Amino acid sequence: MKSYHALIIGGGGTGGALAHDLALRGLKVTLVERGEVTSGTTGRHHGLLHSGGRYAVKDKESAVECIEENLILRKVMPGTFEENDGLFVAITEEDVEYSRLFIEGCTDCGIPTHQLTREQALAIEPNLSPNLILAVQIPDATMDAMRMALRFFATAKHNGAEFKTYTEVLDVEKTGGTVTGVRVVDHRSGKESVINADIVINAAGPWSGKVADMVGVEVPIRPSPGVMLALEGRLCNMVINRMTPSGDGDIVVPQRGLSVIGTSSWVVDDPDNLGLPSDHIEKMYAEGEKMIPAVRKAPFRAAWSAARPLIGPRGADTGRELSRTFKCFDHVDEGVEGFVTITGGKATTARGMAEATANVVCQKLGVDAPCRTREVVMLPHTAYFTG
Amino acid sequence: MTKEITFKVFRYKQGDPAPHYDRFTVPCDENTTVLIAMQDIRRDQDPTLMLRHSCHHASCGTCGMRINGKEELSCVVKVLDLGTPTVTVEPLENLPLISDLVVDMTGFYQRYTAARMPYIRQSEFNPGAEPPEGIDRYTRYENCIECGLCLSACPVAGSDAEYLGPAAMAAAWRAVEEPRNGDGKHALNWVDNEHGCWRCHIAFECSEVCPSNVDPAAGIMNLRRKLTGSSLLRLFGIKR
Amino acid sequence: MQDVQSTQDTVRPKRPLLAWFDVRSRKLGSWAFALNRLTGLGLVLYLFLHLVILSLLLRGEAGWDAFIKLARSPLFLLMDAVLIFGIIYHGLNGIRVGMVGLGYGVRAQRGLFWTLMVIGAALLVASIWLVFTI
Repeated sequence: MKSYHALIIGGGGTGGALAHDLALRGLKVTLVERGEVTSGTTGRHHGLLHSGGRYAVKDKESAVECIEENLILRKVMPGTFEENDGLFVAITEEDVEYSRLFIEGCTDCGIPTHQLTREQALAIEPNLSPNLILAVQIPDATMDAMRMALRFFATAKHNGAEFKTYTEVLDVEKTGGTVTGVRVVDHRSGKESVINADIVINAAGPWSGKVADMVGVEVPIRPSPGVMLALEGRLCNMVINRMTPSGDGDIVVPQRGLSVIGTSSWVVDDPDNLGLPSDHIEKMYAEGEKMIPAVRKAPFRAAWSAARPLIGPRGADTGRELSRTFKCFDHVDEGVEGFVTITGGKATTARGMAEATANVVCQKLGVDAPCRTREVVMLPHTAYFTG
Repeated sequence: MTKEITFKVFRYKQGDPAPHYDRFTVPCDENTTVLIAMQDIRRDQDPTLMLRHSCHHASCGTCGMRINGKEELSCVVKVLDLGTPTVTVEPLENLPLISDLVVDMTGFYQRYTAARMPYIRQSEFNPGAEPPEGIDRYTRYENCIECGLCLSACPVAGSDAEYLGPAAMAAAWRAVEEPRNGDGKHALNWVDNEHGCWRCHIAFECSEVCPSNVDPAAGIMNLRRKLTGSSLLRLFGIKR
Repeated sequence: MQDVQSTQDTVRPKRPLLAWFDVRSRKLGSWAFALNRLTGLGLVLYLFLHLVILSLLLRGEAGWDAFIKLARSPLFLLMDAVLIFGIIYHGLNGIRVGMVGLGYGVRAQRGLFWTLMVIGAALLVASIWLVFTI
């Protein structure tokens, strides 16, 4: 029977980036995903390539990760980002007050800022609110959430990684305290089989708690959904952030011919049952129109929920206080060998998360191979389908 | 307000002698899209139901289906807006079926990438706006979201399995219209054959179903005009 | 030609004729397209019929007179009307398809269709009136 060095559970951005990293290091990698790749949280975020500005005041660790990854991804994924920068806009005196902390925080984290007057900002983004007082330009960019992640998958596939989609994990196989593989069902045919691997990596995002339950280990994951609203028409070309601490409806992200407003935050138990509260949709309109008044009149396109995989004790309740950084758990301290969980984080830092996890995986397998994902230019997303 | 809606869903698993339909009843409210209803079926009634989805806001193009016979992105079709007590859900046509609602997009992407269109284009929105310091010009992603609805709706694709199809030729036209890294000659040569732009029979179904303002039919016709124009010039010995 | 996967689906094989004429939940373009093919086929059929009937002339006066008598019957005149519809529709839609097919008036194709159809309807009414009164 064919055996792999590493088997990844979960075909989101994290799993894809990890497959890419490990494949470049010469490992035999396979990935199982119960649906199509990027069908969980990955495809559903608003498409922001973070500059780190959003976290520069309260979560400096995340902010530094973001700006580093932002610069790396622009190099290794040319042609994937709408590189129009972003603005943090102050529309109240309180916002102006916050802007001092903001610029200070950005400077500390190495995020370049450029302060603009009201007139300068309105000249580059004419749809901004007339109440605008000042704006700060930061190196945000936008992406197509699915297509950015698909470049990891495309390149990994080219380098020999095998992707098994529509393949759901039924159980994790163990011998003594060691994980040896997974039992899966292929939904295309209904056939069950066992896939063996030296190490199994749980990259199931908000579902990683469910996977951990199969092994009998604890992953402190909190599926924390947010509502997003897509409107027809590109109301801005830059990413427009509100100059406030992180809150509901604090961002408008232009995407193709759409404008996406995000997001809210709460916590659920089942990542397959998020719901879509109508009052959250209204909140997106209400907060969005404070920054761009045309939001209220723009035709509705879609509203949806997506669950962030936040790390935190099972007990915190709004999701906002949870850190946006990522964490790699080696469950060996819980008496389980051959099983690693990577969770938390965000699309912008997927490559960095993968690097950290691949380091752990290689160390456990005794493989001495350096990470190459900072330099290797990735294939276009379409190569996932044609390659 | 919640209403019980019956979904008649196309089912097929590899090894089945033939496809069939299953019926599921799902409570739907005013926010429930066909995509959410399919996911609810998978969660609560049949975990083996296969479908593609990703962004949930008409930007990724994976959730295309035939809903009551019409090609749509299931993420933006609200069930109660359809107004039918039974909603029929089928996979896209003119692409090989993998299972249930999932079709194989390989052929679609083989054609689409052959046009060699760059995915980032100049943004035409807010035309008066000056880009900020450090940005030469505002850019954005191309309109096409590679959903395949156009190919499914095309009557010609149904009769010529080698037809390049609307999305690929619309991409070719974009490569000619805004060349960016080339002159568009490759794209023009590529469509100039019997499975290319001359095969189109002008039914406009591609543009009718396109969820992303691509207007593939206009792209194909523009390619023809360009090719006809240069043929005429060649006829009179003028080279361009 | 190029190395691309066929769009033929072996699980759901498609009959080309069905692809052309299945207008369920399709829009104006498909109806126009299907009707154009239908009238086109009808006109080809008519052309052969027409030649067969003209060949009656070679076989003498009696046969031809009998045919002319038949041709004056109301049912035959109705078939004439159908023929005229076919000619007018195919011709006028052909103008649209020809123009649009070379890249002219693409965005106005719907308006073009209905304008030509209004002209067509007027021509049809006038022709039918002539057929039944002369």
